Amino acid sequence: MIEQTQKASSPRARKKMLPVGHYRGLGGWTVFFFVFLYLPIVVLIFYSFNANRMVMNWGGFGFDWYLKAFQNEDIQKAVWNSLIVATIATIFATAIATIGALVLARGGNFRGKTISLGLITLPLMVPEIVTAVAVLIFFSAIGLKLGLGNVIIAHITFCIPFAFMPIRARLEGMDTSLEQAARDLYASEWETFRYITVPLLMPGIVAGAMLSFVISMDDFIITLMVGGAGSTTLPVYIYSMIRRGLTPEINAVSTLLLLVSIAIVTAYWVVSRKSEADTVH
Amino acid sequence: MTTAIDIRGVTKIYNPGSNQPVKALDNVSLTINDNEFFTLLGPSGCGKTTLLRLIAGFEQVSGGEIMLFGEEIENLEPSQRPVNTVFQHYALFPHMTVAANVAFGLERLRQPKTEIEATVERVLTLVKMKHLGDRPPSQLSGGQQQRVALARALAPSPKVLLLDEPLSALDLKLRQAMREELKQLQKETGITFVFVTHDQEEALAMSDRIAVMSDGEVQQIGGPTDIYEHPVNRFVADFIGDTNFLDGEIVDFNDDLVTCRIGSSSMFEAENSGGHKVGDQVTLFLRPEKISLSAPDAASGSATRPGKVANLVYLGNQAAYTVDMGDGVTLTAQARPREDGNLPFAIGDPLAVGFSSRALRVLPQ
Amino acid sequence: MSNWLPQSAAGKRWLGLAPSYFVIGIFMLVPMIIMAVFSFLEPNPYGGVKPVGSLAAYVKLFFEYDLEDNLVFNPGYINIIFRSFQLSFGATLLCLVFGFPVAYYITLQPENRRNFYIYLVTIPFWTNLLIRTFAWIIILGRGGVIETPLLAAGIIDDSLRMMYTDGAIAIGLTYSYLPLMVLPIYASLEKLDFRLLEAASDLYANRLEVMTKVVIPLCKPGIIAGCILVFIPCLGAFIAPNLLGGGKKLMLGSLVQFQFASARNWPFGAALSMLLLSAVVIMLIFYARAAKKRAAMEGD
Repeated sequence: MIEQTQKASSPRARKKMLPVGHYRGLGGWTVFFFVFLYLPIVVLIFYSFNANRMVMNWGGFGFDWYLKAFQNEDIQKAVWNSLIVATIATIFATAIATIGALVLARGGNFRGKTISLGLITLPLMVPEIVTAVAVLIFFSAIGLKLGLGNVIIAHITFCIPFAFMPIRARLEGMDTSLEQAARDLYASEWETFRYITVPLLMPGIVAGAMLSFVISMDDFIITLMVGGAGSTTLPVYIYSMIRRGLTPEINAVSTLLLLVSIAIVTAYWVVSRKSEADTVH
Repeated sequence: MTTAIDIRGVTKIYNPGSNQPVKALDNVSLTINDNEFFTLLGPSGCGKTTLLRLIAGFEQVSGGEIMLFGEEIENLEPSQRPVNTVFQHYALFPHMTVAANVAFGLERLRQPKTEIEATVERVLTLVKMKHLGDRPPSQLSGGQQQRVALARALAPSPKVLLLDEPLSALDLKLRQAMREELKQLQKETGITFVFVTHDQEEALAMSDRIAVMSDGEVQQIGGPTDIYEHPVNRFVADFIGDTNFLDGEIVDFNDDLVTCRIGSSSMFEAENSGGHKVGDQVTLFLRPEKISLSAPDAASGSATRPGKVANLVYLGNQAAYTVDMGDGVTLTAQARPREDGNLPFAIGDPLAVGFSSRALRVLPQ
Repeated sequence: MSNWLPQSAAGKRWLGLAPSYFVIGIFMLVPMIIMAVFSFLEPNPYGGVKPVGSLAAYVKLFFEYDLEDNLVFNPGYINIIFRSFQLSFGATLLCLVFGFPVAYYITLQPENRRNFYIYLVTIPFWTNLLIRTFAWIIILGRGGVIETPLLAAGIIDDSLRMMYTDGAIAIGLTYSYLPLMVLPIYASLEKLDFRLLEAASDLYANRLEVMTKVVIPLCKPGIIAGCILVFIPCLGAFIAPNLLGGGKKLMLGSLVQFQFASARNWPFGAALSMLLLSAVVIMLIFYARAAKKRAAMEGD
């Protein structure tokens, strides 16, 4: 050690040393990472303004394909289906997840808690294709043919854990002494729930609903397998467009779907940041 | 006497160039001798921990230099410096057993396995933790974790051991016991200890020398009695122990004593530390334990002044009295409860207040 | 509250959980059981099954009937399964190598910037995977974003033929699930006490040793979680192999879909799904074991 000391001490120049735990190149690596992550999104948006008929050949800037996409009745139908499915699935999934989360986060320790938690998060753990196959087989076995209804049922099922997570996180981050304080101040159990728990929980519920909506809007495989003709959602329609051949119309529709998702997730982010800041620690 | 650490004009600025640069250390110079128990004492934010981190190598100085046994260490990584640290919250590796924690440094130094085992055993015995070598740190009490942290830092036989408020997380009893043990350990190992604390009692109890710091500057360096009895300024006098401060003006002096006017007309004599002249505005200080309180009738002639109990706080082994001396002057003093457990004086009681002029000192300005 | 509602705590509890149990139980758990049953039935050539017990679906994984109706070993499906594991493993490894330094870098940032980085990592995860994978066709494809400038500059004079290769699938998979690697690693790194790094460095560990002896062991749960979260969906991936592999380079996920969409061999599709599911269960058990061991060591 002392030899090292002597070696290093001869030049008096002070060199800038990285603090412990910092490594050279991490920043550059991270930049590269984000380029990789966002390149496809940027490329897609960029090419959606391509005026050329061919996807790959740049033919100048234009909104033509957006206009075309808006006029396409199949796309309109698919968007409509997507919105119906996502809205209904979100409402049901969020409601179911909220009461489930209330029990699991506020119901104390009880037998079957771990199993209940496992069951609710089951759709997260099973590969999507397996869920799709299982639900398809199930519907055909019981002969359920509700068209879009089948799709909605499947969506409610896999949206529950996505709604459940932020609501439960919010509940567990909430100070239970606030509810105790309300009880202490003569509020009934119902009043405590109505005036304390629900308002405090609201950001979590909103977040859960937004995530469900995005997940439902984006789902492809399960809808592809479960949905029959006439219950085509937007992602399934886009898939069929890709299979038929690439047109800039796909880019235009895809860009719109991307932007909707990004907008919702950004809103979710803002809400959750705000709720985090509001939470009394 | 060999110099272990020589700190020369060290300045440390955090976030230089940003809109909120923070000057943590301002031109600090001090030397720490080999085999010394040296304490950096000061309130939080005074720069004492920063100084320790500069010695350990976790931070770089913004100006000045630090020499370790005569060698400039600025360009050495923490892993290249022959010093070890006992961290405030111990920083024990949670994924390793106690023994593995202690062996960590030795393994990095590529010592032979048998030697490492022997050292680990020796050091764990030294801190009385040998029987818990197989436990993970999470299963230890705070005091036990403290000992492991100590063993881990001592195992590589560092030239200097840096201790960053190591006792602050322990409860009072344990803290007091560990003080003696630490002091003992330092004597046994002969390693230079640099100890950081904000607890003045701890500093007085253990240190060979103390540097009192405030606002990134060293206020005073000296032995414990030096610092307690002869503080160089109001900050040091105030920070170490309880003190009465009396602000006034010198009206007369001779070789031994100065006479000060406190309040409108109260005269107090104090030891002349030299360099004073009539008309100087000065602060006198008087430690409460140097004041004797007695009932007025019992006071037999010696120089006492009349006073009155304005307030009292019962502390068990003693009571702290606030004494109204008249003329706007109040003093804090102490008295022990009587044998029957009752306090000798109650609020409003008249008092005879006695103290020697030798106990009153003029604080240098 | 109304009187007909259960008044006991346990009653309310089960009432609250009932909808979750009902929906996920009926539409997820029961279907998986039926799927398991279907895998042991005979296929109906027009889709669906005949109610006749048979191990044919599982036999088909390894054997086929030759012209004389003898069972002969057929490595075709085993190869696809093996390739799926290989590609998933490769993509998981790529995600780890690519994602770990990023998760670590984010941990080093001040808190408000950390949240922003995490937001940036999660955005692609929440956007449509099909669309994002489709974009890779524009990037990798013939005359795409990568080839065009290289052709124009004369660096290459023919198509690189990047599409419809295992490489393209690996890139697609890595890209698809990268956030699932970064997030759990970040979550465990965020809890890391950086004073431990200083302690290690104080105890003569060089920068590499600080990483290998302290940081990596301590965020192992995050690394394992990330690997499982990436590996599972890779194994069942359908979009990347279909779009970037052109449907010719089959993986398990697309093979399953094929049994239902075109081949009309439902039992075989169900058997393949069971195979996938058992791989997932094995991994989750492995993870639970590791987590338990760790909790015992660190005492929480």
